[in-house]
Amino acid sequence: MRLEDFLLMRHELLLTLIAIIILIAEIFTDDFKKQGIRPLSIILMAIVTIVGFLPAPTGTLFGGMYQATDMRLMMKNILNIGALIVFIQSASWLKSDDNQNKVSEFFLLLISTLIGMNFMISSGDFLMFYLGLELATIPIAALAAYDRYSNKSSEAGIKLILISALSSGILLYGISMIYGTVGSVYFDKVSVAYGATPLQIMSFIFFFTGMAFKISIVPFHLWTADVYEGAPVNVTSYLSVVSKGAAVFIFSIMLVTVFQNIAAMWKDVMWITAAITMTLGNLFAMRQNNLKRFLAFSSISQAGFIMLGIIGGSELGMAAVVYYILVYIFSNLGAFGVIAAISNASGGKENMSDYDGLYKTNPALSLTLTLALFSLAGIPPVAGFFGKFFLFTAVAEKGYWWLLTIAVLNTIISLYYYLLPVKAMFINKAETSIAYFKSDGWTKVGLIICVAGMVIVGFASVIFEYIRTLSFGL
Amino acid sequence: MSSESLILFFIVGVFLVGGAIVFSTFVPPSSVNPNKSDTYECGIPTKGLSWLQFNVGYYLFAILFLIFDVETVFIFPWAVVMKQLGMVAFIEILIFFVILGLGLLYAWKKHALIWE
Repeated sequence: MRLEDFLLMRHELLLTLIAIIILIAEIFTDDFKKQGIRPLSIILMAIVTIVGFLPAPTGTLFGGMYQATDMRLMMKNILNIGALIVFIQSASWLKSDDNQNKVSEFFLLLISTLIGMNFMISSGDFLMFYLGLELATIPIAALAAYDRYSNKSSEAGIKLILISALSSGILLYGISMIYGTVGSVYFDKVSVAYGATPLQIMSFIFFFTGMAFKISIVPFHLWTADVYEGAPVNVTSYLSVVSKGAAVFIFSIMLVTVFQNIAAMWKDVMWITAAITMTLGNLFAMRQNNLKRFLAFSSISQAGFIMLGIIGGSELGMAAVVYYILVYIFSNLGAFGVIAAISNASGGKENMSDYDGLYKTNPALSLTLTLALFSLAGIPPVAGFFGKFFLFTAVAEKGYWWLLTIAVLNTIISLYYYLLPVKAMFINKAETSIAYFKSDGWTKVGLIICVAGMVIVGFASVIFEYIRTLSFGL
Repeated sequence: MSSESLILFFIVGVFLVGGAIVFSTFVPPSSVNPNKSDTYECGIPTKGLSWLQFNVGYYLFAILFLIFDVETVFIFPWAVVMKQLGMVAFIEILIFFVILGLGLLYAWKKHALIWE
């Protein structure tokens, strides 16, 4: 192993480096200089995101434990973008008095989860995968309990750590059975030797269940709403976008490579769970009044849509999944960004009825939220439409007509509830709607990036074509 | 490993463990009383509720101790093969140390080491 080989891991190494820089800044600065940590972290993260896009060598490390391919690098870049937007959006929230003394911890914990996700995506065997997964989940539980004086926040933290411990246990049980039947934990060896003996099918079911908890697929979704509601808005947005995206990425990679021998079987399992996930997520989302819970259930139903691309299983399907996550990052973070801004400015108002008549007082925020919800629902011309379109194409290409019908019906149902907040903002009359307030620069920048992303990613077909060329090399 | 050695290993194992138990029943003086079969509580009945609040400092110290304790596990295998691995591994372990040291510095700076 030579030092140059470490260049393959540059995403992880750069993130580790900026984590250490932030830690040093936290240790060696006085209290009144700590204000600088917020811009410092954001700028460092922006640099890492940009450097990530530079062309890089590909290959494997540690005897195949670590794999760097163009597609995986693309996935890491997408996650970096998501994390950067979350960083920018949380800047004004971190300025409040309660959070003054734990600013750098927020960034440090988020960066460590990001390092874990990157290792997870690049993993070439189950050990590295599990290591990354744990690193990606444990710090986020601490972040969910970030709001020290809120009971709901503590509840979210404890629920998240319990559910991730449970799901990791189930996952490990599945992995141990895979190792027991195949005799190796390396993906390439497992994929060749994996058959359909009863024990191997059971191991897959355990593995699938563990991952389903992480992606919050019905019937393993019950923790989602409580955790999303309790955690601070910016942590929730990270959880619903970046964490979920990373889990979807590695899950889709593993399904089409490691478990390719039993593809017919897992496609049946995914078919049913995808249909249930879309439908139940939608039905529950209709009944929500708290916007964070609302977006939690919406994100469950989105996970169902994302599974369509995995079921497609082709290069088109893979590209559609990655592209959809990219679009989903911009749209969901746009929605969460507006909710966070309003929640911070109005002292924690997060209910749909609080948004009555918001367009009169805060037109820019209302329009951003509307655009984001349109994108989530899949209304043209925003990017969400193209994302859903490609997912549906991927399924239709393989002839899953019934699943496609269910998906289209669910899209129509989802239109109803995505338009509820829009109706509240534009049509409903309110005696005391949230007063006009001026967002600070960071919030504006964060929302502008989201809006630009939603529009540009949709229209620039180059992006989808580029992702598609990568997906051949997985 | 042939099956004979496995059987031998098994027999020796059974005799060692079984022998120790049998041996210990003969050798020490025995005293039987009800207190001995009580729940283990250092021999004294508990006073008051056992739902006490512990100083959170205990946990901080335990965690800090654990970090440097587990560090040994990483250093030992490295030390065994240090010569073969050469300079790269040396730099790697140095970085590892520095990061751990930063963690301790951080705890120090956050006043986690002050016992109140």
